[in-house]
Amino acid sequence: MNIVVLIKQVPGNSDVKLDPKTGNLIREGIDAIINPDDLQALETAITLKETLGAKVTVLTMGPPQAIDALSEAIGMGADGAILLSDRAFAGADTWATSFTLGKAIQRIGKFDLILAGRQAIDGDTAQVGPQVAECLDLPQVTYVFDIETVENGYVRVKRRLEDGYERIQCSLPALLTIIGGPVKPRYPEVASLLSACHAKAPIQVWNAADIGVTTADVGMSGSFTQVVKTFAPKFERHGELLEGSAVEVVHNLIERLKQNKLI
Amino acid sequence: MIRSNPEELIRKNIARFVDNEIIPIAQELDNKGEFPRDIFKKLSKMGIFGIRYPRHRGGSGGNTTLFCIICEEISRGLLSVASIVAMQSLMGTNFLFHYGTGEMFEEFFLPAMRGEKIGCFCMTEPDAGSDLGAITTRATEVDDGYLINGMKTWVTDGPEASFYTVMCQTDPSKRLRGIGYFFIPRNLPGVSLSSRFQCLGTRTTPICEVAFKDVFIPKEYRLTPEGEGLNAFLKIIAEIRAMTAALALGLQRAAMADSIKYANERMASGKPIGKFQLVQSKIANMATNLEASKLMTYRATAMIDEGKEALKEATMAKYFATESACSASDECTRIFAGYGYSMEYTAQRYFRDARFLLNGGGTHEVLQCNIARWVGI
Repeated sequence: MNIVVLIKQVPGNSDVKLDPKTGNLIREGIDAIINPDDLQALETAITLKETLGAKVTVLTMGPPQAIDALSEAIGMGADGAILLSDRAFAGADTWATSFTLGKAIQRIGKFDLILAGRQAIDGDTAQVGPQVAECLDLPQVTYVFDIETVENGYVRVKRRLEDGYERIQCSLPALLTIIGGPVKPRYPEVASLLSACHAKAPIQVWNAADIGVTTADVGMSGSFTQVVKTFAPKFERHGELLEGSAVEVVHNLIERLKQNKLI
Repeated sequence: MIRSNPEELIRKNIARFVDNEIIPIAQELDNKGEFPRDIFKKLSKMGIFGIRYPRHRGGSGGNTTLFCIICEEISRGLLSVASIVAMQSLMGTNFLFHYGTGEMFEEFFLPAMRGEKIGCFCMTEPDAGSDLGAITTRATEVDDGYLINGMKTWVTDGPEASFYTVMCQTDPSKRLRGIGYFFIPRNLPGVSLSSRFQCLGTRTTPICEVAFKDVFIPKEYRLTPEGEGLNAFLKIIAEIRAMTAALALGLQRAAMADSIKYANERMASGKPIGKFQLVQSKIANMATNLEASKLMTYRATAMIDEGKEALKEATMAKYFATESACSASDECTRIFAGYGYSMEYTAQRYFRDARFLLNGGGTHEVLQCNIARWVGI
């Protein structure tokens, strides 16, 4: 079985700045982590590798420092990794990102399952996984928290609902978006992390030409949406001391709670 | 070719482990004072204990710098866990790795790398610490082996260990030239342990005395060949001191981070106490000492990794970083004021744990004499 896992590096803390011109997140020079849902997808893939036997290839699109996310994936047990890195990919919206990832997966060729995290904690769109499935014309199941079986050309999964779960059987190849389940993602082994730093590590870097796309199809040029304006919401608290007798204060308080539709 | 920097990558991943798995339960672990089995198991799964050993012989393929980075990061979470890691990765297994037979390698070294067995190092005696030439634990040659007799104290991880690397005297007339290292499994007849010591700090690290009474070991359990004991000691002591400096670095970072956070939050006279110059002075000194400790420690580890003689540099790093850790943890308790005296806050733990670093690898009174001698006194 061949599994492709889509991962993304996201800011590791909330101290993130926005580019005033493009409105995009400034990712250079900030502490980055693998997006938590993607880490869960990676753990799911490696568990499948251990239980059923599989080759796990990890794919990400990002600046050169995204190589660290791939090294960590190798450290966790992935067999190979590909970094899609090209200035032409910069500024991509979710569609251009999905298109680029889809083209890379086509170049990878053989795959039975594509696993992606449900959504990234920086953008919170939950669009990339489903759009990659559309690009590749694959069936998809979202919000998967447990893969029960993979056999005879089908995968059977549990899909989280607000008040329970669905058990779904889906033909392969398929794309699943993963959410946190009972198994916590493992920590990488230090020996594998060190191996991932070697020149001979199974990590490739592909650019636009490598996946056969033109600069018009990807990045900002290939995006259907543009960020017009970004801002950081301001949270302000004002305290007010209600004065008067206890009865007056209570009446005053009830009135204000009603005005603010809190009761 | 784009590739990750190994030192940054290892640091980042160990830091994540420390932030998620150690720091949230550090106070609880310290209060319980029990050996941290669960964390020990998790660290073994990551291959931490093999970081100094080559991959083709059961290790993880790192070096002293990477080992010290790991020690530093874990110490930032809980010094006592880091000291356990240091024992298992360095002193407890080093001589077994270099001098043990293939059978001993399979039976003890590889299980130790997997966290299934614990190894430790017995050097100090009730009447011999930094003065190693005065040790009296005796290895006497007999038919087919040796008889070991003597007493070791301050044996870190002793109560949990499956095997001991024991420094013994083979010929008292030779003093330091007569010392050698011997491998002694705990389950041999004649090995006995005291109850666990009650210590001021590093409360999850178990420490005890180990006594050897007519313990018979086969010839192959003599690890260092005759006459090589002292050289073997001199080879490892620089690394032990660099590692201790790294532990001190982690403690300094923890004490400084908590001090800064508290100084920015705690209000006095209408402003955060960090706005007062005397508090700023404490933080500035912590930061400066930390930076100097870092440079000294990793200069020493780089020299060790390059195969250079680094005893002087490692000794200075251990001395300076540890004194800085003691100072940082002391200042931390002062910044926390009344809360620094409370067992509910971290400051008291840093203050207690820092004392652990003063003696391991040589007391500072002895190290200062060494340093003075090396520079011409």
